[in-house]
Amino acid sequence: MSILDIIMNILAIGVPFSVALLLAALGEMFNQRAGVFNLGCEGIMSMGAFLAFLPPFFLKTGALAPWANLLGFAGAAAAGAVLGLLFALVTVSFRAPQGIAGIGLQMLGWGAAGTLFRHYVGGVTGIGGVPPLPIPFLSQIPFFGPVLFNHNIVAYLAFLAVPASWYVLFKTPWGLKVRAAGTHPRAADTMGIKVTRVRYQALALGGAMAGLAGAYLSLCQAKMFADDIVAGRGSIAVALVYFGRWHPAWILSGALLFSLAQALQLSIQVLGIKFPYEFAVMLPYALVIAVLAFSRRSRLRGPAELGKPYDRETRI
Amino acid sequence: MKKAILVLAALILVIAGATAAPKAKVKIALIVESTVDDKGWAQAMHDAIVAVQAKYGKTLVEYNYSEKMKPVDAGSAARQYASQGYDIVICHGAQFKNLVLEMADEFPKTSFAFGTSADIGPKNVFTYMPMSEETGYINGIIAGMVTKANVIGLVGPVDGGDAARYDRGFVLGVKASNPKAEVKVAHTGSFSDFVKAAELAQTQVKAGADVLTGSSQQALGALRAVAEYKDQQIWWLGQDIAQLAIPEGYKAIAAASYDYSAVIEALINKRQAGVLGGESIPMSFTNGGFVYKFNDKVGPVLTKAVRAAAEKAKADITSGKLSIAWKDVKF
Repeated sequence: MSILDIIMNILAIGVPFSVALLLAALGEMFNQRAGVFNLGCEGIMSMGAFLAFLPPFFLKTGALAPWANLLGFAGAAAAGAVLGLLFALVTVSFRAPQGIAGIGLQMLGWGAAGTLFRHYVGGVTGIGGVPPLPIPFLSQIPFFGPVLFNHNIVAYLAFLAVPASWYVLFKTPWGLKVRAAGTHPRAADTMGIKVTRVRYQALALGGAMAGLAGAYLSLCQAKMFADDIVAGRGSIAVALVYFGRWHPAWILSGALLFSLAQALQLSIQVLGIKFPYEFAVMLPYALVIAVLAFSRRSRLRGPAELGKPYDRETRI
Repeated sequence: MKKAILVLAALILVIAGATAAPKAKVKIALIVESTVDDKGWAQAMHDAIVAVQAKYGKTLVEYNYSEKMKPVDAGSAARQYASQGYDIVICHGAQFKNLVLEMADEFPKTSFAFGTSADIGPKNVFTYMPMSEETGYINGIIAGMVTKANVIGLVGPVDGGDAARYDRGFVLGVKASNPKAEVKVAHTGSFSDFVKAAELAQTQVKAGADVLTGSSQQALGALRAVAEYKDQQIWWLGQDIAQLAIPEGYKAIAAASYDYSAVIEALINKRQAGVLGGESIPMSFTNGGFVYKFNDKVGPVLTKAVRAAAEKAKADITSGKLSIAWKDVKF
C-alpha cells in the first residue's frame, strides 16, 4: 500500500466520521450564539439516535418501509427540538443555571433512550440503515472520488449545512437577532427583539440538529442502537464550538481535524507502527485540548453574554 | 494402575461435586455495568446464573441483578444485597475490584466475586479468569486458513484482562495455521463504543484485511461494519455465540462464548462447603468454561478442512496436549 493510498484511506474514513460531530456542533453554535450553552447535547443525541432507529426497526415491510429512514430522521429532529425547547423553558424562562440544567438534560436523554430501548426493542440489534450514495462520475475521480463523493446522502447534506448555517447566522435578520441575543440582549431588547423568543428558537434549532447528529450515528454510521452509542461525542461537539470560534467554517475545520486525527490514530495502529495504543487513542482528544489551550484569544470572539440568563426587569 | 484409579476417582468426585445440587437455599446477586441483554459480557454471566437457577429450581437458587452500575454507583447496590442476606454477590468486571475489597471487609460472611482477574483475594472474595487464549487460538486457526489476502484484522477493546489473552491466543492461532498471514492488532480504548469499533473495522478492511475478529460488547459494532461488505469475501470470527443468531451473523464463520455456569456452580459448592473465598476459579474448555460453535449457514467458506483443524485444536487444548504461551506474544 502506497503512502498516497494510506492518506486517501485516512481521509475517506475521517470525512464521514466528522458528520455527527459537525451537525451537533453547528446546532450548539446556534445555541451559544443566542447566549445559551447546552451541555445536554449528548442526551439529545442519545434520544435522536434511539428515535431514528425505531422506524427502520419496526417498519421492515409495508408501505412505509421505504420511508423508514426518513421518518427516523424526522422523528429525531422533532424530538431534539422538543428537548431543546424543554431546555429553553428551564434555562431561559426559569433562568436555571445552564451548566447544571445541561448535565440534567444529558442524563435525562441518555437514561430515557436506554430505558425506552430496553422496553420497546430489547437487546442490541442492527438495521439496514442509510446506504452510501456514490455521486456518478465524481466518485470515480482518483483520490478525490473516494474522499469526497462516496458517502451517504446525509453526509453531503451535513457539509452543505455549513454554508447554510453561515448564511442564516450572518446574512438573515433572524441570524442577526440570534447574535444580538447572545452578545447584548438588553440592547437587542430595546431595539424590539424578543430575546426570550429568539433564544427559544435557537435552542429548538440546536436541539433538532443534535437529534439529527444522533440519528446519523444510529442510521448511517453504526446502523444499530446501543445505550452508549454517542460515547462522549456530544461533549466533543460542545468543545468544537469553542474550538471553532462560534463560526461554521471553523467548526467544520475542527470537526474534520478531530475526525481525521481519529482516523489517523486508527491507521497508526492498523499499520503496525510501534506506538503505544493508549496514546494513539488519546490523540484526537489531546489535539482538541491543545488547540483550545493555544487559542485563548477566541474567547474575545465568543458571545459576550454566553451562559448568562436575561431578565429584562433586572438593572445592570 | 493404582494411581490411575485414584486420579479417576478424584475426577469423578470433582465432577460429582461440581454438579451436585445446593444443600440449602443460596441467594445470588449480580451487578453489571451494562445490561443483561447486551449480547456480550454481562449477558453471558446472567444467562449462566439463570441456567443454574433453572437447573436447581428457584426454591434453591434465588437470583437478583442490578444493571448499568458504574463502579461509583455499585457500592450502594452491593451493600444492599449483602445487608439483605445474599450469600454471593458477583460484581462482574475487574473495574469493581476496589469496591469488592471494601465490601468484603464490611460483610465478612458474604462471598463476593469479581472478574476477570486471577488475583487471590481476601477470605470471602473469589475471582474468576477465563483463559480466553484458548478460544482466541481456535478462531486464529480458522482465520489463518480462511484469509486469501493474508491480512487479518483484530478489533480489540483494551490490551488487558481476558481481551489481552484472547488477542494473543488469536495471533498464535493464525501463526500456527498460516505463518505468512499478518495480524493487524488495534484497540479502540473502550469496551462499549460500538461506533468506534465499526470505524476501526472499516479501517482494517481498507488496509486489506479480509478476516476480522474482536472481543467485548463493542465487537458487535465491528461485526456490523463487516456485514456492510455484502458482496465481498470478508469474514468475522466472534467471541460471543449470540453474534451467530443476529442478521449480521451471516458473516460470522464461528464464535466462542463464555459459559459461566461452571463458575457459578463452583461458587455455590465452595460456599456450601464452607469456603467463602480466597480462590481464583479458572475458566477453560477443560472445565466447561467455554462453548464453541460453527455457523453452518455461513456457506462454503467453512470447509471440512477448516472445521477439522478447529476441532483438532479444541481437542488438543481440552486434553492438555496443547498449551498456549500467550504471554510470549508482544504487540
